[in-house]
Amino acid sequence: MSEEFYKKLMAAVVDGEPEDAEAIAKEALEANLDPLECINKGLVPGIQKVGELFSTGEYYLPELIIGADAMKAALEILEPALVGGQKLDVVGMVILGTVEGDLHEIGKTLVGTMLTANGFKVVDIGANQSVEAFVKAIKEHGADIVGASALLTTTMLQQKKLVEALESAGLKNKVKIMVGGAPVTDRYAQEIGADGYAEDAISAVDIAFRLMDAPV
Amino acid sequence: MDRPPIEPMRTSRKLSFLDGQQLKDLQEATFQILENTGVQFPSDKALDIFTEHGAIVDRDSRIVKIPRDLVIRAMGKVPRYFTLGARNPEFDLILQDGVSYFTNDGCGHNVVDFKTGEKRASTKKDVGMAARINDYLSSMAFSWTMVSAQDCGLTSPLHEIDVTWRNNTKHYQSVTMMGEKICRYGVEMATVLRGSEEELRNRPPISLIVCTIAPLVQDKEAIEGALILGEKGIPIVVMSMPTMGTTAPATYAGALAVGDAEVISATVLMQLANPGTPVFHSIFHAWADPRTAAYVGYPLDSRARYAPVEIAHHWGMPSLGGAFGTEASEPDSWRSAAEIATDPLLVALAGAEIVTGIGLRDTYTTLYPESFILDDDIYHSARFSLLDMDVNPDTLAVDVIATVKPGGHFLSQKHTRKNMRTSMVRGVIHQLDKSGKYRDPSEYARERVQWILDNHHPEPPDEDVQKEIDRILKTADKELNS
Ligand code: B1M
Repeated sequence: MSEEFYKKLMAAVVDGEPEDAEAIAKEALEANLDPLECINKGLVPGIQKVGELFSTGEYYLPELIIGADAMKAALEILEPALVGGQKLDVVGMVILGTVEGDLHEIGKTLVGTMLTANGFKVVDIGANQSVEAFVKAIKEHGADIVGASALLTTTMLQQKKLVEALESAGLKNKVKIMVGGAPVTDRYAQEIGADGYAEDAISAVDIAFRLMDAPV
Repeated sequence: MDRPPIEPMRTSRKLSFLDGQQLKDLQEATFQILENTGVQFPSDKALDIFTEHGAIVDRDSRIVKIPRDLVIRAMGKVPRYFTLGARNPEFDLILQDGVSYFTNDGCGHNVVDFKTGEKRASTKKDVGMAARINDYLSSMAFSWTMVSAQDCGLTSPLHEIDVTWRNNTKHYQSVTMMGEKICRYGVEMATVLRGSEEELRNRPPISLIVCTIAPLVQDKEAIEGALILGEKGIPIVVMSMPTMGTTAPATYAGALAVGDAEVISATVLMQLANPGTPVFHSIFHAWADPRTAAYVGYPLDSRARYAPVEIAHHWGMPSLGGAFGTEASEPDSWRSAAEIATDPLLVALAGAEIVTGIGLRDTYTTLYPESFILDDDIYHSARFSLLDMDVNPDTLAVDVIATVKPGGHFLSQKHTRKNMRTSMVRGVIHQLDKSGKYRDPSEYARERVQWILDNHHPEPPDEDVQKEIDRILKTADKELNS
C-alpha cells in the first residue's frame, strides 16, 4: 500500500496538481505512513523527474513552478508530522530576496524555483527587502546561503550593504552570499566581497551547489 | 548654432488593430478589474486621496477598488493634447493628431566606450554625450535618460537632468526620478530653468515616466513622486509592463487588461489629486520566454503590436508607444535591425503621440553610441514611407517621357538633372567611399558620432541659471548622498 502512496505523490508533483498532492499527503498520514519515507520516495523523485523534464525541454516554466508548488503543498502537511530525529534531507537552506528600493522580482523568483527544484530549501522574503530583513531571516532560519537580487544601478549598492551588515553581525563566515541581477557583474560581486555571482537562474543553481561545497 | 530641425513622423493615415467592440470589451475588463479586484497602492498619501473621493480603500491590504462612475469622472479631466516645453522654444512639442514625436531609449547601465571599446558602467559624462547626440539628430524630438549617471549616487536622477540641459536644448523626459524628495528637487531645477511657476506649467521643460508593477500594484516612490510633479502641472507617463506568463496572463488581451487597469488607476489618482494633470498612457507588454522567463520584446507573432495606442486614445489620453529596444547585443547585427524594422512605421500609423526606444541594445541596457545613428536611419526610412507623394504634371513628366521615347534613357534630360540628386536619399547604407563603393554602415555611423561630438555644442543654460542649478544639486547631494 505504501508504494501506491509514493507513486501517487510522485504523480501529483510530476503532473503539477497541488490540491491532489495535499490531499494524498493527508491520506498518507491517516494511513499511518512514515512522513519521511513519503517525502523521500514520493516527493523527491517527483521533483527530480520535473527537473529532468524541464532540462530536456519537455516542460516549460509553468510546469516546473506548479510542480514545485505541488511538492510544497504536500510538504506543508508532511513536514510537521516528522518525528524524533527525523530531518528533511535538503541540499542547503537559502534566504532569497530582492534588495531594498527594488521591486523587480521575476528573476529572483525564478532563481528560487530553480533552487527548490534542485533540492534546496528556499525562503523567499520577497522584493524591496531591507538589509535588516535579510539578516533577521538568516538568523531565524539558519541559512547556508543568502541570495540578493538587484536590477537597478541605484539598488546594487544595497548588496554591498548586505555584505557589510553580515560582517558586522558576525555572520559573514557562516553564510555564503550570492548576488545577481541584470546590472550586477562578477567583478562587482568580487569587489563587494560576495561569495558568488550568477548570470541566470540555471547558473545560480551551479553556484549554489559550489557554495555548499556539494557535488552538482 | 546650426542644427537640423526636428523631423517628427507625420501622417494622415491611421492603422487600427482593434475594432470598436474589442476596444469596448477591453475597457469593460478594466472597469471590472478596478471595481472588483482593485489595485494595490502602498502609499498612505494615495490611499487618503482615494478615500476622500469615495473609492473603497482597504487600509490593511492597501487595495483600492474604484467604482466605475469615479473612474469615468476622473478620466474626464485628463487633457488629450498639451505642450511639452523645450529649453529652446523652437523645439516645443505641441501634441496633435497625426504627428508622432520620437526619442532615444533609456535607461541603460552599460556603455561601450566610444574610444576604447570597453564595456563599462555608465557615468554622468555618458548621459551628457547621449544628450548631445540627441540634440543634433532630427529624428529626436525630445530626450530621454539614455543611461544612468552611476557615478552620482542616489541623486543621479538630478545629475542626469543637469548634464542633459548642459548638452541638449529639447524637452527632457526623466526615466529615473523616484520619490518625493528627488522629485521636489527636480521641480525646483525646472522652475529655475523656466523662470516662474506659471511658465513651468505652460511649457514644462521636463516630464517623468513612472512604472507600475504588474500585476496590479503601484510603486510607492513612483506614485508619490508623480504626485509632486502633478501639483505643478508637469506631465507624467504611466507605463505598465505586463509580461505574458509571469506578471500577466499569457494571453494578449489579458495582459492588456492588466496593464490598462494599472495605468488607469494611477491616472485616476493623478486627476483626483490635481485635476487636469497631463498624463500619457503606456503599456509595454512583453513576453516571458516559457523556458527561461527572459524578457522578450519581439517574438515572431506580436500581432496587434500597437493596440495599446488605440486603448489610450479610446480613453481620451495621449499615448507613449515603445519602438526599437532590440534584444540583440551587437550594434549592427541582422537581429538588431530585423527585430525592430517595422516598429517605427506601425507605431506612427497607430498614432502614438510620443515614442521612445532609439539606440540601446541588450533589452534596453547597453549603449553603443553608433547605434544612435544606425537606428536613426531606420526611423527616417519609416518617416519617408509615410510622406505624401507628389503627383503633378512636373513629377509625372509625361513630356519628358515623350521626348525620350521607347528605348532611350533619361540621363541627358534637364528634368533628370534637376531631380536626380534628391530622388534618392542616402542613409547610412548608401554612403560612397572614394572608389565609389558603398561603405560599411557601422564605420560610417562611428564617423557621424565623432563628427557630432567634435562639432555640435548646444548652448548651455545661462550662467546665472546654471549657478542656481549647481546650488540645488549641492544641497541635494548633501541631503541624500552623505
Ligand atoms: C541571488 O542570486 C541571484 C542570481 C541570479 C539572479 C538574481 C539573483 N537575480 C536575477 N538573476 C539572474 O537570473 C534571472 C533569471 O535568469 C535573471 O533575472 P532578470 O530579472 O534579469 O530576468 C528576468 C527573468 C526578466 N527580466 C525582468 O523581469 C526585467 C526586465 C526589465 C525590462 C524591467 C521590468 C520588467 C520592470 N521594471 Co525596470 N525593468 C528593467 C529590465 C530591463 C532588463 N533588460 O533587465 C530595468 C532593470 N528597469 C529599469 C528602470 C529604470 C525601472 N524599472 C522599474 C519598474 C519595472 C517594472 C515594475 C515595470 C518591471 C518589473 C516587474 C517585476 N514584478 O519584477 C522602475 C523601478 C521600480 C523599482 N523601484 O524597482 C524604473 C525606475 C522605471 C520607472 N521610471 O519607474 C532600468 C534600470 C536602469 C538602471 N540604470 O538601473 C531597466 C534596465 C530598464 C530600462 N532600460 O529602463 C538574471 O539577472
